[in-house]
Amino acid sequence: MGELRLMKGNEVLAEAAIRAGVDGYFGYPITPQSEVMETLMLRKPWEETGMVVLQAESEVASINMVYGGAACGKKVMTSSSSPGYSLMQEGISYLAGAELPCVIINVSRGGPGLGTIQPSQADYFQVTKGGGHGDYHVIALAPNSVQEMSDFMTLAFDLAFKYRCPAVILSDGAIGQMMEKVYLSDFVPRRTEEQIRKDCGEWCTLGSKRHNVITSLELDSVVMEQRNIALMKKYAEMQKEARYEAYMTDDADYLFVAFGTASRICKKSIEMAREKGIKAGLFRPITLYPFPTKALYEIGTKMKGILSVEMNAGQMVEDVKLAVECKVPVEWAGRNGGIIPSPDEVLEALETKIIGGK
Amino acid sequence: MENDVNKLTKEDFVSAQMVKWCPGCGDHFIIASLESILPQLGKKKEDLLVISGIGCSSRSPYYVNTYGFHGIHGRALPIASGAKIANPNLSVWVTTGDGDCLAIGGNHFIHCLRRNMDIKVILYNNQIYGLTKGQYSPTTPMGKITKTSPMGTIEEPFNPGELAIGAGGTFFARALDVNPKLQMEVMLAAAKHKGTAFMEVLQNCVIFNNGAHAYINDKEFKADRQIHLEDGKPMLFGKNMDKGLKLCKNSTKLEVVTLGENNITIDDILVHNPHQEDRGVHLMLAQMKAPEYPVAMGVIRDVDKPVYSELLEGQIAEAKQKTKFHCVQDLLNSGNTWNVE
Ligand code: SF4
Repeated sequence: MGELRLMKGNEVLAEAAIRAGVDGYFGYPITPQSEVMETLMLRKPWEETGMVVLQAESEVASINMVYGGAACGKKVMTSSSSPGYSLMQEGISYLAGAELPCVIINVSRGGPGLGTIQPSQADYFQVTKGGGHGDYHVIALAPNSVQEMSDFMTLAFDLAFKYRCPAVILSDGAIGQMMEKVYLSDFVPRRTEEQIRKDCGEWCTLGSKRHNVITSLELDSVVMEQRNIALMKKYAEMQKEARYEAYMTDDADYLFVAFGTASRICKKSIEMAREKGIKAGLFRPITLYPFPTKALYEIGTKMKGILSVEMNAGQMVEDVKLAVECKVPVEWAGRNGGIIPSPDEVLEALETKIIGGK
Repeated sequence: MENDVNKLTKEDFVSAQMVKWCPGCGDHFIIASLESILPQLGKKKEDLLVISGIGCSSRSPYYVNTYGFHGIHGRALPIASGAKIANPNLSVWVTTGDGDCLAIGGNHFIHCLRRNMDIKVILYNNQIYGLTKGQYSPTTPMGKITKTSPMGTIEEPFNPGELAIGAGGTFFARALDVNPKLQMEVMLAAAKHKGTAFMEVLQNCVIFNNGAHAYINDKEFKADRQIHLEDGKPMLFGKNMDKGLKLCKNSTKLEVVTLGENNITIDDILVHNPHQEDRGVHLMLAQMKAPEYPVAMGVIRDVDKPVYSELLEGQIAEAKQKTKFHCVQDLLNSGNTWNVE
């Protein structure tokens, strides 16, 4: 285990990036995640590891700088919050189409539009269902603690490079702003160009002699279809990366499904429920894409009912229903507009919507 | 009668919303100037629209009691363009900041000027990102230490006036937040201008960039570090109004001279003409930086060129005139016709 520190979630993202040997960060200030870039600027990683930190003129510029950096096989990343993440969709679609690896952090806030700066999970659809145009997916990791903000940085880059696909860390304002103890990972040196050439092969623009055009364009439909099929194969292959946490599910009659901040509330609700004699457990998807469908089917179909607890108007609940093939009752509960549901509210929803609703 | 345009006062334009800007922020002064001149435009409240993007400056539409539009970061100008085209009767005012207008909105900014949309744009230039708490902006001076430039910025800032004139802007004026008289003068001139009227107000962010403009506004030096340009008047400044601007001989530069020194007389001093189409002198005036030059205040450029909506309406009228079809019946009778029996 690495160095123990007490840190804010957003600061940890910055620290973890330096420690993961990231080559470049490109960002634009937006609440509630401006601390990511500010912490990086304060840490001056360019002196320590040579990592570049650049404040772009917009999120559109940031994601395109990422696009350019990724084409060179470098570990590049950006961070933003919901409205800024929306602006990046075009770039993300192109990155996915051109099959380039990168990490994008979305410390999400309430919407639609400018919405609120308070925490929310309303970007679930945008992150997991594509967001931009065309048939593509991004790997989506959902930390629920400051520790995971640290751990998922390395994981996100590993998966992004393994599948040559953008990886998103979907956090929210609450985890971004809260302070917790964290074991930081050890420093990984930035890869040399030699290593990048070896790891990435010929696709990266690193002085390879081969004519190599980074593109997502294919005008011939027959060839384009083959590209789509190759992407579909890749996404199918990715399913094995699905990760989840099952908490007190072994003896449970009822199941909460929740990710990120909402999952922490559910753990408290479970404690309260069990005091009342209601056996509840939690299934927490860690990867939102690939969604842990199989595991949720196995655990979820043993339950009397499932409550999908979300800080949005009910988005993940659709994937939960699909996962359990509607074999058990599934309902949604949650709050919107940047409000975190209380453990009492969640328990009450379980009692009224699932237990009482049967 | 609230809507008798001649009876409107400043108070009619102050909304009931609680103002959320920090105490002492320059934004308070700018909005007060705007509210003061609006009754003089002879427009009904419902024919006025204040539009913004995102940032501290962009809270303005909440505080002015007209139609308001709090839009998208950087996109106030396209939104304003759409509104003006859809309802040409509107007097459209955009309140924006150096981040909103020149970073994320930089592209829209130059295109709005190029098209000469009939929109009034007030840029609250505090040289910092205030709302996100203190990162550098595209007008932050090189070398400035901010939250995202702990070793000083390494980016050359934009001079908004230079950019606007370069992009084909037909109106550029500058004022200081603490000088309401000048602000109102500039805003009224902008209101009269046909086309994109771009005003830069040097605004103090007391929290994240306090004193950014103190250098030119310091009591002791301001007479030497500012020049108030007025149409048809010689470009004089200084405590005794004995300094002036003239064109250097054999060069395309301005120089600061003193009346009475080196045989300089008032006849050597340039006379300000904001209406000349040539951009040369206007660009030089917009570019002047203290201490070498005084910073130009007032209306620097105000030239008459066709505005987008006029040209658009002209094309529509022309197309209507030339067409063979004047009503739906003409169109229906234009091709082959059959009788279905
Ligand atoms: S942060 Fe700065 S610009 Fe924003 S309201 Fe406060 S003083 Fe004004």
